[in-house]
Amino acid sequence: MVLLVLSAMTTTSSLLYPPISNSFGDEAFTRYGEIAKYILLNTGKPVDWGKNSQTVPEDFGLADADAADPYTLDVDKVSRLSGENLHVLSYAQIYTSLKIPDVSLRIEIKPLFETFVNLTATYEGEGETTYEFEVETMRSGVSVPAELRLYVVAENWLQNLGVHSSDGKICLNVTISKDVGGPALLVVLAKSRCNAKIVSFVAYAFAHNSQNPEAKGSFLKLSPLNHTLTVVPKNVDTTLTDVYALTFNYASTLEQTTSQNQSIAFAIPRLLDSSPTVLVATGWNSTRFFIEWTVYPQIPVAVGISPSESVSLADVYAYTFTVAINSAFYRCTVWIGGPKQ
Amino acid sequence: MRKQRRGQIRIIEAFLAVLIIFSSLAISASLTTEHKTVESSDLASVGLQTLTKLDSDGSLGAYIDNGDWSGLRETLSLLLPEGVIFNLTVYDDEMRQINTEAIANGELNGQEVASIKYVCVSQNPNFKCYVVQLRLAVVK
Repeated sequence: MVLLVLSAMTTTSSLLYPPISNSFGDEAFTRYGEIAKYILLNTGKPVDWGKNSQTVPEDFGLADADAADPYTLDVDKVSRLSGENLHVLSYAQIYTSLKIPDVSLRIEIKPLFETFVNLTATYEGEGETTYEFEVETMRSGVSVPAELRLYVVAENWLQNLGVHSSDGKICLNVTISKDVGGPALLVVLAKSRCNAKIVSFVAYAFAHNSQNPEAKGSFLKLSPLNHTLTVVPKNVDTTLTDVYALTFNYASTLEQTTSQNQSIAFAIPRLLDSSPTVLVATGWNSTRFFIEWTVYPQIPVAVGISPSESVSLADVYAYTFTVAINSAFYRCTVWIGGPKQ
Repeated sequence: MRKQRRGQIRIIEAFLAVLIIFSSLAISASLTTEHKTVESSDLASVGLQTLTKLDSDGSLGAYIDNGDWSGLRETLSLLLPEGVIFNLTVYDDEMRQINTEAIANGELNGQEVASIKYVCVSQNPNFKCYVVQLRLAVVK
């Protein structure tokens, strides 16, 4: 009798469970996919919630209100997802404004390929030092041919090293006078050779006539929003010297617009360039020279629940999109999952 | 007396067996739903979104007008997600293939293939209309 009951139950469950599970899965996959599209195609409410640092959206959406094409995201809304930004939206605020209580999500936005810099050698000369860098552009270990624009920033010094063509790996020499104070920062902006809208970037800080540079964010908090860079020093005895905006085709020194309550604002120029804008601030902390940097939009960005770490979620689906921000292309992945059934 | 005791043991055995079966079913059901991260299998949607984005500024038509097949192949390799194999064919308005070399990053052999047909209009002063067929599969 026991054997009979056992075999009957096993057969029934094995026959019924997969169809039930799959039908729930298909339904969830379609529903979550529509939610992911909604986030990227909807501007949210108010439509310009990204620009105003004090505004928390009533409805969550990342689309650019002025964009003619779908899947074009607002530079400020994306920047407000970054933990580096002073006015970052918390996950709780995103979750509440999405108004779909039975889903958890994660949003990641990053360049379509990566750029890496390594300092491979240093040659001391008379009155100058030459640094040899290896710059690699790749995606999943495969080389990406690209055009590279290089800038070097140091104390009262900005040098445009021009455009270099790379098949994926290139060695470049950077020579800096010993009269220039450090540390220094090498900024690399890369554009895929096959499509100028596919971009990537990296900034590499290195010692020059100085001790090793501190970690990013040690001296300043840099928050770009609404084409204004807000700089908040982390120590009282910090003074700023120069602030630069660097894109693939343009470099400019930023003008201070306001200064209040330990925060200083600079206007970021609206450049018609399919490129992220790397913002570099230099200054002194007591007697120590420093360089800090960020990028506008503040990417790569990752916000939300990590699907691999959450134990309360059931099936989690990943949806991948190509999105445009300031007419450059990026990869956006939205993970959405629901509670256990 | 002995026969009655044997009967009682059989009943207890049966209850225990049922208990074990139910608990194992419950545990296995919950295990199968936990941490099940699934990559998007909606390849057709991914492909269409990629072609639409590439066509938004006329790039797609420009690649075809210029016969820049290697440029189009490299661009699609970067725009499509990792682990996706693609094969693209370009036809003119009379459905004659016009790409003279393969626009693909691998062989579509045996996988489940998603196929998209997209109509692209060149932004050249000479009006030209192309039909782009993109076939996609996930690397196994």
